[in-house]
Amino acid sequence: MAAAHKVVVKKAELSWLDRLYVVSVAKGMGITFAHFLKQIATPTRKRYTIQYPDMKKEMPKGYRGLHELKRFEDGAIKCVACFMCQEACPARCISIEAEEFSELTYTQGFEEKRPAKFKIDMLRCIYCGMCEEACPKDAIWLRNDYELAAYDRLSMAFGKWDLINTYADQDGKATLTAETESPTTPRRTVAL
Amino acid sequence: MDTLAHLLHLSPATAWIVVKVLLAFGIPMALGPILTWGERRGSAMIQDRIGPNRVALFGKIRIMGLLQPLADGLKFFFKEDLRPAGANKVLFWLAPALAFIPAMLGLAVIPLGRDFVSGGETFHFSLLDPGNGMGMLLPMAVGAMAVYGVLVAAWSSNNKWSILGGMRASAQMVSYEIGLGLAVLAIFMATGGYDPHQIVAEQAKGWFIWRQPLGFFVFFVCMFAEANRLPFDFAEGESEIVSGFHTEYGSMKFGLMGLTEYVHIIGASALIVTLYLGGWRLPMMADQTQLPVLLTFAVFLAKLIAVSFVFIWVRWTLPRFRYDQLMNLGWKKLLPISMANLLVIAYLMKGR
Ligand code: SF4
Ligand code: SF4
Repeated sequence: MAAAHKVVVKKAELSWLDRLYVVSVAKGMGITFAHFLKQIATPTRKRYTIQYPDMKKEMPKGYRGLHELKRFEDGAIKCVACFMCQEACPARCISIEAEEFSELTYTQGFEEKRPAKFKIDMLRCIYCGMCEEACPKDAIWLRNDYELAAYDRLSMAFGKWDLINTYADQDGKATLTAETESPTTPRRTVAL
Repeated sequence: MDTLAHLLHLSPATAWIVVKVLLAFGIPMALGPILTWGERRGSAMIQDRIGPNRVALFGKIRIMGLLQPLADGLKFFFKEDLRPAGANKVLFWLAPALAFIPAMLGLAVIPLGRDFVSGGETFHFSLLDPGNGMGMLLPMAVGAMAVYGVLVAAWSSNNKWSILGGMRASAQMVSYEIGLGLAVLAIFMATGGYDPHQIVAEQAKGWFIWRQPLGFFVFFVCMFAEANRLPFDFAEGESEIVSGFHTEYGSMKFGLMGLTEYVHIIGASALIVTLYLGGWRLPMMADQTQLPVLLTFAVFLAKLIAVSFVFIWVRWTLPRFRYDQLMNLGWKKLLPISMANLLVIAYLMKGR
């Protein structure tokens, strides 16, 4: 609209009852006391405050936290090193090195490529989920884990081994060991 | 009483004085820190939060964070004690004491429980026995001295915010003193004396809160101004004058200033309880001279804590007044109300 709106701000007139203060003060005190009683009667578990190290927040479905590289039941990595996620990543924090391999397994079909190195710099990642969107193989997922902190930068560079292993058994699947040794120093060892 | 005196190798009278001194100074000293905890937990509950609950004894026993004041006190002792350049050294050091000592003296004349007879002697449950000639005037006078603590702290810090806060606070305290005085005068009239023992005894006929509700209202509001509590906390003001009169204070000096506020609350609550809520008397009981002494003391303490809670409760309910509103309220509303109260009481007493 082109015409400028004229906003008339009217000063709220207090009625004589309000100007006595007493009634409105009593009303307000009633409200705060109700809150006081309610909060005291509520058990700690049900209060709004989540007392963090002792209690943890249930993250909602679709929360975008730490990544996981998914695997087949036999432990073979789903990723085919197509670089889609690396291209899609707006933060440019994924770096993949592909390798060829010839041990064809049943579950993996007839892929001939897999990542030799798969590194995500968690310090640069903005957890936008674009890699998850871009992946044609559903090989990279963002999980619910949000406790991402470390004592140095190096331990925030997650390698292939970290991404496969560390969080692999949280959705009910058995933990499987990656066939290759960790290309980077395992995150946990650096961090602690 | 006698056994205690015997154990201490003192005469009963001396032992009783020791006990009274311990009580009169111990109650504010002990209740003050507990009130800071109560304020933080209470405000948290009012605002649907949790408040400090993590300080634990030996890292295990949490007891609802009740040790928080202790931890705070310890922290204060380990803080650097700064004195700003250009501050008046003597006054800067003196101010916390000037603020704290008058606050502590408030309980001296308040009867904490029933008088009792033991071994043919009458023992009075207040630090100063009745008939000392000061009576209720002592807490009023000493309470007025609190202005000095604020003003001296503000003046000596050589800080513009401090001095603004100090000026505001002292102007406020002085102007509310008048309404306060007139309200108390009505009580003195109804009692026929100004000794707190007499006033408590008079309330056997009915607490003054029922007999002089208007006076109670004025006194209660003025006490908030006297104790520098919200909604009248003009000594401080985060958004305007930083921390007001104690901006420059740190370390235990600041701790003392903070504690003073709570000791003031206790003093004010004790005055309210004694003057209007029947002191150590239980409600609705005619003859209370035979009650157990400790019970009367417990009743007094319970009332004290309840009124202190109201102080906290009000703070977390009401927004602050503006300075001109504050002065309006003090001079144009509370003072006339207080005066009218005095006249009405006087008129009602005319026939007697
Ligand atoms: S979540 Fe976004 S920023 Fe992080 S790796 Fe995936 S695409 Fe890159
Ligand atoms: S994770 Fe998915 S998108 Fe990224 S390289 Fe592997 S298969 Fe391609």
